[in-house]
Order: sequence, then structure tokens, then C-alpha cells
Amino acid sequence: MVSEGLNNNTPAWASILGVIAIMLGVFLTAVHGNEAMKQAVIVEHMPASGVMPEADCPPEELEEEGISVAECEYLIEHVKGMALSAPDWFPSAQMTLAGIGAILAFISIIIGGALVNYTPSASVAAVAVFSGLAIVDLLQFAAVVNTGPTLREVYLGGILLWFVLHLMLLVGAIAGRHTQANA
Amino acid sequence: MQRQGFNRTAVILHWLLAVSIFFLFISSWWMMGLPLPSPELQFRAFPFQLHKNIGITLVIIILMLLYVRLKYRPAPVDSTHMTPSMHWMAILAHVLIYGLVLSVCVTGYLSSAHTRWDTVFWWTIEFPRIAAPDEEMNEFWGELHTYAAWALLGIIAVHVSGAIYHAFRNDGIVRRMLRW
Repeated sequence: MVSEGLNNNTPAWASILGVIAIMLGVFLTAVHGNEAMKQAVIVEHMPASGVMPEADCPPEELEEEGISVAECEYLIEHVKGMALSAPDWFPSAQMTLAGIGAILAFISIIIGGALVNYTPSASVAAVAVFSGLAIVDLLQFAAVVNTGPTLREVYLGGILLWFVLHLMLLVGAIAGRHTQANA
Repeated sequence: MQRQGFNRTAVILHWLLAVSIFFLFISSWWMMGLPLPSPELQFRAFPFQLHKNIGITLVIIILMLLYVRLKYRPAPVDSTHMTPSMHWMAILAHVLIYGLVLSVCVTGYLSSAHTRWDTVFWWTIEFPRIAAPDEEMNEFWGELHTYAAWALLGIIAVHVSGAIYHAFRNDGIVRRMLRW
């Protein structure tokens, strides 16, 4: 005997949009979470003088990591380049946006589930959350544009891709709402 | 009496597991690009410890998930939505995911146990040393950890593709794991 019925009247658009929102939400929560950690770690461990110490590249570590001495030394230059390209305000701005983004992305997983088990309020919430995520992308884009070329090269392409994805989810949710309203 | 969908605890644990696994993949690719550790360069300390903490927590989560899944089994899927071969493929993918998640966590821990770095679980519980630092063993378990992680990523891609396939068909199968 089956006790608890699931909503079997979910419109196809909500089922598809919901699952895609969940998949992207899982991935984006991880991406934003990692970004917040990245900024915190770099800020905390950069020497106050800005002068990076010599690379420590013992042969056994190089073998374990599968890298050459030159690459080991470059890892320091890479972190230094990221720090040099970032204005003073950038790490805290990026951490704040990444934190908000991680929370919204996590909420989008829940909203995705609500879309799959469709209720009319789920699509309203979806429009709000996808708009929020698109705004976070735009703010991150604006922040990164005002940094140096190293950070622009690292971030801009990815942010633009996320913005396009969130715009598609948002338009999908709006179109779905209109479809339901006309049904 | 059986539910149509999975138990709510199972649903929450499943999605917690999913977010954690993706975070571990993405953060590990980044942290391996940080400078090698030295007394002056400690960039790797926090991300590596966090990686270990989440990895060990995943073992606890997956064992809880297994328990809940086996104790509260949902009603079988309607055979009109899933052919027997698809059903067996889904079971195989799930068994592989559970096995690989556990393998990745255990090999990662064993690799770490053979380094000079201690494991302090969430910076509070110090794990006893189970092995002396040994570069060869660290590398051996480290390689297994990496290969198991790549295999896990591959099988997750299959699992996600299956979920999206059923979402496009709107046959109700993904709804079983999406009830809050």
C-alpha cells in the first residue's frame, strides 16, 4: 500500500526547470563557497610586506605533486599575481557576494525541488531567487571589471556564463508562470 | 505501508552529500594550485584541513543515508516509467556511487595519515595517528584517492544524466528525491 502521494500534475516546464535549477544550484553553491574560502585564505596568508618568501620545493614533494621546480616556483608567483591584481576592497566585496551567492544558490536547490513538485508559489519564489542570482553575477562582473587584467582573465568568462544561465532560468520561470496563468 | 518518494531525511542527506562532493572537487582543484607548504607559506593549511573535515563527515553522512534508505524503502517505481534494464542500471550506478564515495574518503584519509600532518576533525577532535609518515604510502593512497575521485565524477555524470532524462520525460521519478 502506498501512503503518500507525490504531485503527479507537475507541468513539464516546471519539472525540467526545477531539475536544471537543482543541478546548477548544487554546483554553484560549491563554486561560491570555494570563492569565499579562496579570498579568505589569500588575504590571511599574504605577507604584510607583500614580498613573497622563497619557494620551498623539496624533490619528494615535487614527485608527489607531479610538478617541476619551475612550476613549484610559479605557484607562488600565481598567488602573488592574483593579490597584485586585486584592489584593497576586492577580497571583502568578493567574499560578501560569494557568501550571498552561496546562500541563494542553496535556496535555488530547494526552489528547484518545489518546482518539480509544482505549486504556483514555487514559480514566484523561483523568479525571486533566479533574479537574485543574476544580480549577484552582475555585481561580481562589475567588481571584477574594476580590478587588474589577471583577475579579469580568471573570472570574467565564468561570471558571464553564470549570468547567461541565470537569465535563462529566470526567463524560463517567467514564461512558465505566464503559461500557467493562461491555462 | 510505503511512501511513493524517499524518506525526507534521505532527501536532505542526499542533497547535502551532493553539495559537499562538488565543493570538495572544486576546492581541491584550487588548493592544489596553492604554493607548497613551508614555515612561511601556509596557504594550504586551512583548505586541506577543511577538505579532510568534509571528507570524514561525508563518511558519516553516507552511512546515515544508507541506513535511512534501507530502513525506509519507497514504493517500487511504476514499471511503465522504467524498463527492467534501466532499473538495474540505476541500481548499479547507485551502488557504484556509494562504493566510490566511501573509497575516495577512506583512501584520502589513509593518504593523509601517512604524512606529517595530523588530522584534527573540525579543529576539535584530534584523531590518533594510525601510521608513521611514509612518503611511498602517502603517494600510493594519494593516487588511489585521485583515481577513485575521477571515477566518482564519471559515475555522478551518469547519475545526473539519468535524473535529467526522467525530468524531461516528467515521469515522476526525480520527484521521489525532491520532496522537502
